[in-house]
Amino acid sequence: MERRLSELNPGESGIISRIEGRGEERRKLLDMGLVRGTRITVVRRAPLGDPIELLVKGYNLSLRLDEAEGVYVKPVE
Amino acid sequence: MREIEVALIGNPNVGKSLIFNNLTGGRAHVGNWPGKTVEKKEGRCIHKGVTMRIIDLPGVYSLTAASIDELIARNYIVEERPDVVVDIVDASNLERNLYLTLQLLELEANLVIALNKSDIAESLGYEIDVKGLSELLGVPVVPTIATVKVGMEELKDAIVEASKRGVKARVRYREDIEELIERIGDILRRDEDLTRKYPIRWLAIKIIEGDEEVMRLIEERGLIEELREVIG
Repeated sequence: MERRLSELNPGESGIISRIEGRGEERRKLLDMGLVRGTRITVVRRAPLGDPIELLVKGYNLSLRLDEAEGVYVKPVE
Repeated sequence: MREIEVALIGNPNVGKSLIFNNLTGGRAHVGNWPGKTVEKKEGRCIHKGVTMRIIDLPGVYSLTAASIDELIARNYIVEERPDVVVDIVDASNLERNLYLTLQLLELEANLVIALNKSDIAESLGYEIDVKGLSELLGVPVVPTIATVKVGMEELKDAIVEASKRGVKARVRYREDIEELIERIGDILRRDEDLTRKYPIRWLAIKIIEGDEEVMRLIEERGLIEELREVIG
């Protein structure tokens, strides 16, 4: 089942299935290595839930929640 | 004495400034990029009878036209055609860093890769096949640890060598994309000014990507109508 990256809890991982969004914003996510088939883990959330810290391709990346909303993942163990 | 122009580029936080300081002895001329409030650092390094003019480009993840830093870095490489471009890559974060490397190869830059933070990569348990990486990319790869000045002489050697040799590496894509690049290239090559100023293959790739800056350029040159027939 597909879920939004913004809905994953800390510790949960997924494989990116698609990225929605407009040109510039989407491009930036792709630039940062968020491409289809990439495994991504939510490390933690800021106190108010935004932004979230992610582990992708061996490095830590922070995204605003609205940026993470456009990223769809298939959850994995 | 021979003088060459060397540009340093890399993702943010790869140790680029440290390498700049190691190469230039910390003596830098600091100014701004013309018309921009982005710092431009320039220094000199003399190695084996060659004077290198070293230009520190902004730290970027990519070479799209998305931010002013990216645009400065890419315009410099396209328009100034430095003799050598040193791509400083974080060895402990290879996959993400190689994305920029790929874009530099697309730009047909004369690349030398400094595989920096080799010590951190090792402490993380990574074993990097330096020779294999160099063969795959078609460019020299020099492991460095900028914090303790390891690999600096080797890096200077590689820069001087590369300046004599010129570009030979390039990225090849899937056959249908290569065909499209060829067809777009045929149209672009009719414009002599364009051909003199830009790597045509790179322009073609950027047109396929829909890069805003390049599309604007193509429109200015009045080539957009012809191109529409190819790219739709």
